[in-house]
Amino acid sequence: MSRGILACLLMLLSVPAVAGTSYEFKAKSAEAGHLRIEGSGDIEAIEPLIRDFQELETTLSVTYVDSLTNDLYGMMQEACARGETVADLVFSSSADHMVKLANDGCAQPHASPQTARAPPFANWHDEVFGFSFEPAVIVYNRNLVPPADVPRSRDQMVDLLRNKAAAYDTRIGTYDIARSGIGYLFGFFDAQQSSAFGRMMEGFGRAHAGLYCCTGELLRDIESGKILIGYNLLGSYAYGRFKAGAPIGIVLPRDYTLVLSRAAFVPAHAANPQAGKKFLDYLLSLRGQQMAAEKSFFFAYGQAAPEGVDAAEPGLQSGIYRPIPLGPALLAVTDRHKKARLLKEWNQSFQAQ
Amino acid sequence: MAGKTPSLFWRLTTAISLGLLLGAGILAYAAYNYAHTAADDAYDRLLLGAASQIGETIRVEDQAITTDIPVSAFETLSVSRQERVYYRVVGPDGASLTGYDDLQVPQNLLRAGSGPKVWDATFKGYPVRIAAISHYVSDPAATGWATILVAQTRDARNALARELTLRAMALVGIMSIIALVGVVLATRYALRPLHRIEQALGSRDPNDLTPLDIRAPVEIEGLTQSINHFMERLSERMDSLQSMIADAAHQIRTPITALTAQVELLKRETVPAKRKHHLTRVVARTAQIGRLVSQLLSHAMVSHRAQSITASPIDLVDLANKAVADAIPAAMDRDISVEMNAGPQPVFIEGDPVSLREAIRNIIENAVHHGAKTKITIGIEAKESHVVLVIGDDGPGIPAGQWPDVTRRFFRASAEGVGSGLGLAIAADVAKNHGAQLEFAQGENGMFLVRMIFLRASGVSS
Repeated sequence: MSRGILACLLMLLSVPAVAGTSYEFKAKSAEAGHLRIEGSGDIEAIEPLIRDFQELETTLSVTYVDSLTNDLYGMMQEACARGETVADLVFSSSADHMVKLANDGCAQPHASPQTARAPPFANWHDEVFGFSFEPAVIVYNRNLVPPADVPRSRDQMVDLLRNKAAAYDTRIGTYDIARSGIGYLFGFFDAQQSSAFGRMMEGFGRAHAGLYCCTGELLRDIESGKILIGYNLLGSYAYGRFKAGAPIGIVLPRDYTLVLSRAAFVPAHAANPQAGKKFLDYLLSLRGQQMAAEKSFFFAYGQAAPEGVDAAEPGLQSGIYRPIPLGPALLAVTDRHKKARLLKEWNQSFQAQ
Repeated sequence: MAGKTPSLFWRLTTAISLGLLLGAGILAYAAYNYAHTAADDAYDRLLLGAASQIGETIRVEDQAITTDIPVSAFETLSVSRQERVYYRVVGPDGASLTGYDDLQVPQNLLRAGSGPKVWDATFKGYPVRIAAISHYVSDPAATGWATILVAQTRDARNALARELTLRAMALVGIMSIIALVGVVLATRYALRPLHRIEQALGSRDPNDLTPLDIRAPVEIEGLTQSINHFMERLSERMDSLQSMIADAAHQIRTPITALTAQVELLKRETVPAKRKHHLTRVVARTAQIGRLVSQLLSHAMVSHRAQSITASPIDLVDLANKAVADAIPAAMDRDISVEMNAGPQPVFIEGDPVSLREAIRNIIENAVHHGAKTKITIGIEAKESHVVLVIGDDGPGIPAGQWPDVTRRFFRASAEGVGSGLGLAIAADVAKNHGAQLEFAQGENGMFLVRMIFLRASGVSS
């Protein structure tokens, strides 16, 4: 995940923190309250949302702390167990972490006309809400991958790796599920959804695929041509780079496309829960969703994929999308036996050759 | 008039409403209990299903017990998505294998290998329902009973129980309203005969005392009968009152006509000796009229008191003494001795003292005016079961053939005389009103006896 692109932020104070990087946003008018957000999301995606929110709540100053999902999870677990106040709003791309925390009573419920807008899969117990719609995509380097090679499904990926093994050896990249929360989450649901996934992992192993911690680093290496194709990248970040002119192509797999909804809740122990709820309402509001579709995540629930993305017909998309539902099923994702088993299988696939 | 009591309609409606309310309360309680059990039953099955799904994945790999928690186990519980779910797998040695390490297992379950169990508990501050099943692991590395616990918050159960209860209550409410409307209509229908009676009485001519002719249900037939009986009595009384007034008018008119004639004669008579004679006649007539009027009033009073005065214990001896005192002036005029033969101790009977005194006085006066030559005796005999008042005189008495008639009003034993024909009628009426008998007898020593036989006053000893 790329962090610390500070130059473009005018009113930004970077405070090195133990857990993550902190960003300050001063209130637009006389400050009358403070909102502290702990999350895992690139500042480029989150900043437009915070600034737009401050247009509505001019007297709120905002602190946003960006952390890695696993760090955030560990910190929240400890804080919740001790009843400590950490933030007024917490969000993470690791929806399983958020649901587990809420299941353990670390979140407080919030119901409003805005939260009612959230689709069923993005609302758990009126506590955890999914506010983004981010498909897991295949990204390739437009300059270096011939159009005929571009894989549009997992089967095509398997075929490509078998047929052109030499050309793509060491030139494939994906998440290291041991290090990345999102990678593990996507891996878990891929394993549930498809038998092709196992064969693909073996293919990745044979091709000596590179394993990455974060979408940002994957994108950077694809842009630079160090690798040619990346699997299971967050569509939002990839499209951000695409829009910025990076020579990459984005494919929504046509067999099925996993969709992550970044999950947020107001912690049970919040210093200013009202501010947290206001921001949550904003994220789920029409205005917040439009801002997110324009500037932050580019994909949105109920909308066609944005311009330039290689996707199935808009009418078919909804059937192909597999949103990861916020609910107790995600508890199985955090189960320790389950995780050990998946990691073992993953390692076996990669070491099979 | 006594204070108003609540209307029958409201009494019935209130009583039945309270009954319905109580019934609805009991039904609500029963419905809640039933709904609670039904909801628990339904959701417990899901919980146990999830637990056995997890149990089926238990196996031994690399010398250690491991599980492969199926997502479907939690998806089963996600039928109601709004639940918190907790789980834990405990190995045969009691060590936590996976899940929530602080989810408690009851001691007796840990080793027993008993069947599935479900119970209520609190976890992380939430009321939860926990299901536990045991799963036997047989492997050289680990042998024994593993326990799988799955817990779920109660929100969905409570919501289901609440909804079932509310639906049942809605039905009970509708039934209650129907019942209440039925009661209101039924009450109005049932009270209609009363309204008919009310209308029949209200629209009646005041002089119409004929029985009501109304079809009435068994329950209020008694009421119509009472009304009819009352009207019958009223009618009888009106009749007797009218005949008495007619009699009185007739009885008074005759002596007054005679008196007028006497006075006319007196006016024209110039001979002093004859004038004196006429004057004596006028005085006698006037006295006769006075007595007649007095007795008419006395009779009216006795009749009235019989209807309106309730009996009280009275001392017959004392009463007889007073009656004798009343009669003495008349007796003295004719030089008759009046003798009282009664002990000093009082003799009690139940009755109206005023009427009785009037009756005794009339019997004595009757004896004074018609019979007694020299003496009148009055005796009171207290017997075991009754009390006898005897008034005797030494006169000619009444011939036995006339005994049944002398107690009739305006019956005169002899054509001439000063009697009004009311004295013995009054005595007979009073006797009748007191449940006593009036008898005549010819006693030894040539005494003529009038007896009044009273039944003993109950509960009053003499």
